[in-house]
Amino acid sequence: MSRVSRRRILAERTVVLVATLLFLLPVCWLIATAYKPSNQIFTVPPRLTFEPTLDQFRQALALFDVVSLVRSSLVISLGTTLLSLLLGVPSGYALARSKARFATGFAYFFLAIRMIPAIAALIPFYLLMRDIGLLGSWWAVIVFNTMLNCAFVTWMMFSYFKSLPPDMEEAALTDGCTLIGAFLRVALPSVRSGIIACALFCMMFSWNDFLHPMFLTTLDSKPISVALLTAYGTKDITWGTLGALAHFSTIPIVLMALFMNRYFVQGATNGVQ
Amino acid sequence: MNAVLPMPHRFSDRRRLFLFLMAAPAVVYVAAIGLWPLSQGIWYSFYRYNLLRPARTRFVGLQNYVDIFTDEATRTAILNTFQFTIFSVGLQLIFGFCLALLLWRDSRFNRAVLAFLLVPSTITPLVVGLIFKALLGADYGMIGYFLSEAGIGPRTGLLTDASTALWVLILIDCWEWTPLMTLILLAGLKALPADLLEAGTVDGATAWQRFRLLVLPLMLPSIFLALTLRTMDAFRVFDSVFVTTGGGPNDATNTLMMLGVKEGLQFFNVGYASAVGNVTLLFIALIATVLLLVVRRADVRINGR
Repeated sequence: MSRVSRRRILAERTVVLVATLLFLLPVCWLIATAYKPSNQIFTVPPRLTFEPTLDQFRQALALFDVVSLVRSSLVISLGTTLLSLLLGVPSGYALARSKARFATGFAYFFLAIRMIPAIAALIPFYLLMRDIGLLGSWWAVIVFNTMLNCAFVTWMMFSYFKSLPPDMEEAALTDGCTLIGAFLRVALPSVRSGIIACALFCMMFSWNDFLHPMFLTTLDSKPISVALLTAYGTKDITWGTLGALAHFSTIPIVLMALFMNRYFVQGATNGVQ
Repeated sequence: MNAVLPMPHRFSDRRRLFLFLMAAPAVVYVAAIGLWPLSQGIWYSFYRYNLLRPARTRFVGLQNYVDIFTDEATRTAILNTFQFTIFSVGLQLIFGFCLALLLWRDSRFNRAVLAFLLVPSTITPLVVGLIFKALLGADYGMIGYFLSEAGIGPRTGLLTDASTALWVLILIDCWEWTPLMTLILLAGLKALPADLLEAGTVDGATAWQRFRLLVLPLMLPSIFLALTLRTMDAFRVFDSVFVTTGGGPNDATNTLMMLGVKEGLQFFNVGYASAVGNVTLLFIALIATVLLLVVRRADVRINGR
């Protein structure tokens, strides 16, 4: 690969840059609407320039209790992530270390759980939550999303632990370490990046999810994703206000994905191989 | 713990018990929160059961399933879901492979580009729908206006016309998920044995020959796995459809998930919606099985195991 001409690299990079711009420009457009005065968002013909203003943010903050919406999103996604890791990491470890023949089959079962169409389980779950009075609370969403995510974490961690040779744990056990000690102090630290990748995926999934909270939460417990939908359906809310509101829903997750890109890439790779 | 469970003496037994206890919580949780509702859904699907008219609940056997395959609207939803899945995943594979090949060479530039490229796949799918809904409007939309001025597409906008709406949704899905496809394929490319590719260069094969005879066969397992993952997701598409067209105009973009959610959680037609959910699940299981079998056969052919 070393004898590639400079001109070819330049050509390749141009193509890649153009493609990346195609993928970024629509997002930039939405972000930009939040800084435009309402009468300049949609003009005939559309134009690119505008006088920046913060009015849309004022409007968004006046119409929506943004703090409570973001808090709901945070509680739901952090709760889901924490529970999913607590359940999924040990079971992934157990399946990877088990010598039983059905262990790998079980791992695939967990992967299959992640693939079920939400609607097949969501309706009975909705009725169940209604009957036990949890409908409308954060718990309903956390409990449901944890089911999907802990299955995914189990699958991911299964493959991470599988690729980690058990020699170190064996050595620790020979030295008198307990089984739990070998798991906590030897195995866990070696798969730290895998756990971070799992956490990142759980966070993204729950933060971006809106089908489940749309039906499982109420006005006071709804997260920002559901609020965006409600805002969109309301006549007197402008696209600018929507853009401002979308800031709170997209910027945190994009920043997280950018800063933790290494783990994101690693996780996507590991989920596949 | 000793008080509750008799501690086995042999180490291998103790370890087995330990591993069992580690896996048990997740298994029990998934069974209780996932499998139990799923099985209830199967039960409901044999009933005519509407939450708004609970008194008129009655057992109808397989009638809901018969309805799914005979009802015109539902048949459209099934066909739409397949069309959506096949074309969006297919296009994503082509675009994703091209981008992955372009990003293959490890450099700081490529790593930085990849990070930004992933933005569409990370933002809320709902927001993706909103963005394109706004951009494609024929009256004010940044893209829609110029398309309509140039005489391309219907006057009312691409998303509001039955002949184009589904194709636009396919392209939106491509925009959203091609980056993830690129990432998965790039990971596969980077795991290829370097010496084999080197040998191809020395033998004087052209770039196209190297791609067709070396890279493509070696990449088959990654390609099929990426296809499987993306197909599962595309088949369950909901968010972007819900916010851009809501299944319309005239069911032209109705998908199975869209139909199930509308029936179940808006019309409270629990019996029928459960049947739709189960049929979707069945289709997904079928596709996954076929794809996994293909992966295994490709693996056998290439690696001989």
